[in-house]
Amino acid sequence: MTATRRDLMAGFGTALAAGTLSAPAVLGQGRPRVVVVGGGPGGATAAKYLARDSRGAIAVTLVEENETYQSCFHSNLYIGGFKRYEEIVHRYDALASAYGIALVRSRATQIDRDRKEVVLGDGRRLPYDRLVLSPGIDLKYDSVAGWSKEAEEAMPHGWKPGRQTQLIREKLDAVPDGGTIVMIAPPNPYRCPPGPYERASMFAHVLKQSGRSKARIVILDPKESFSKQGVFMPDWEKRYGAMIEWLGPKVHDGITSVDPKTGTVVTGFETYENCAFVNVIPAQMAGAIARDAGLAPAGGYCTIDPATMKSVVDSDIIVLGDACHAGDMPKSAFSANNQAKVAAMVLRGELTGSPTFPARYFNTCWSLVDTDDAIKVGGRYEPRDGRIAAVETFISQPGESAEIRRQTQAENIAWYDAICADMFT
Amino acid sequence: MRWLHARRPAEFALTGVAALLMAAAPAGAAGDRALGAYLASECTGCHQISGRSSGGIPPIIGWPEEQFVAALDAYGRKQRDGTTMQTIAARLSRDEMTALAAYFGALAAKP
Repeated sequence: MTATRRDLMAGFGTALAAGTLSAPAVLGQGRPRVVVVGGGPGGATAAKYLARDSRGAIAVTLVEENETYQSCFHSNLYIGGFKRYEEIVHRYDALASAYGIALVRSRATQIDRDRKEVVLGDGRRLPYDRLVLSPGIDLKYDSVAGWSKEAEEAMPHGWKPGRQTQLIREKLDAVPDGGTIVMIAPPNPYRCPPGPYERASMFAHVLKQSGRSKARIVILDPKESFSKQGVFMPDWEKRYGAMIEWLGPKVHDGITSVDPKTGTVVTGFETYENCAFVNVIPAQMAGAIARDAGLAPAGGYCTIDPATMKSVVDSDIIVLGDACHAGDMPKSAFSANNQAKVAAMVLRGELTGSPTFPARYFNTCWSLVDTDDAIKVGGRYEPRDGRIAAVETFISQPGESAEIRRQTQAENIAWYDAICADMFT
Repeated sequence: MRWLHARRPAEFALTGVAALLMAAAPAGAAGDRALGAYLASECTGCHQISGRSSGGIPPIIGWPEEQFVAALDAYGRKQRDGTTMQTIAARLSRDEMTALAAYFGALAAKP
């Protein structure tokens, strides 16, 4: 569906005018075309800012295969019983009605970089002058021996939203008191560095709340350390006693294999049999569409120019969010939403002559450990020495007051509302 | 600009006029507005542009400009608590704070 002239006129009646300097809006044929692939925090934000701030001078198309957006961020809060599932589901309609973005509900399967066209699963081709790719991650199903795509119902990952998220909650609910949950954490780099540890916290919270305090959670980690470890671990002990046990590679001596049929996990150190629930969070890579287009090495992520978010392989293509290497910025929704604004500014500058400014970046990741007890980590970043480098960072401290932790969680909740408003309204 | 009317523009090599716009830093009030808008785009990931707030992060629209700048300045000097805002304010120049104050100050709350 393409936006009609009438839609655009109506939409921009409500568009914000303050602070926008750009070429006069040009409607109809001949506008520069930007196609955005992926309707998550990178893509939806880029599409909105391009359409809104160009005031119709740029024809923006957003390709997203899902009818609604179900956020991976805060899915842990759903698992922990702090949010209803409906609270993490969002609709795209306002992007069309308010900003005249053409929404194409289809799967983009291929980029034809020579012809500058996006190929859809149904064979349709969308020509672009510039492309914004924000496809997210793909899972490496062969990264844990014995695990596979076929096993993802028996041993769910819950690292892509929707059915997998709900499956995690179902499995958690079925854990008996005294049962063992084994979580296999992923190797770097991966989506949402503190995510697995927030999830383990949510497991412990639900188990404790429901009188299953003798259940235990074993985290087997291929990494020597993890995000906010110095803050998570004392808080786990304080809140959950010995319920959560984290084992690094020196202790478990290697994650050897899993058996989805029997619920067994074998490590160099110990074998865990009859696990109530095994949560495998595998190694990850850029979404296939980006790798297949030659924008990322096999099994890797896309390298980008830190000043513009453009692919170093193709200057007509921007790559945002989890699919790119963003230097010191973690793979997070906050980062993707933030990078999208740099990208929108850069593309508007190229396509309409609007002013551009040096890129600057920011991120904050919040993690909920228990009721009214959240911790955060974040920083500001700038292009330096050919990469996005951290300039200043901050992190929650162990032993902070309960009031600070409560305020941190209040920030977390408010951030979610704000980023979703920023993406979808 | 004539090139925007091209039927199927294959490239957007900038015309002389557009190139000048890109090359020179925008001057005067229009430039401040554009700078304010760009900087503000970073704020709206946390502070809703509608002025709505669920409490944990305050609304920042419609403030008197002096008050807005004073708040950012206090964060930058770590005289006001909040590690996130301290980190953000530390890299804002006075001109940037002023541009942000003007941008957000001009916005009205949405019901």
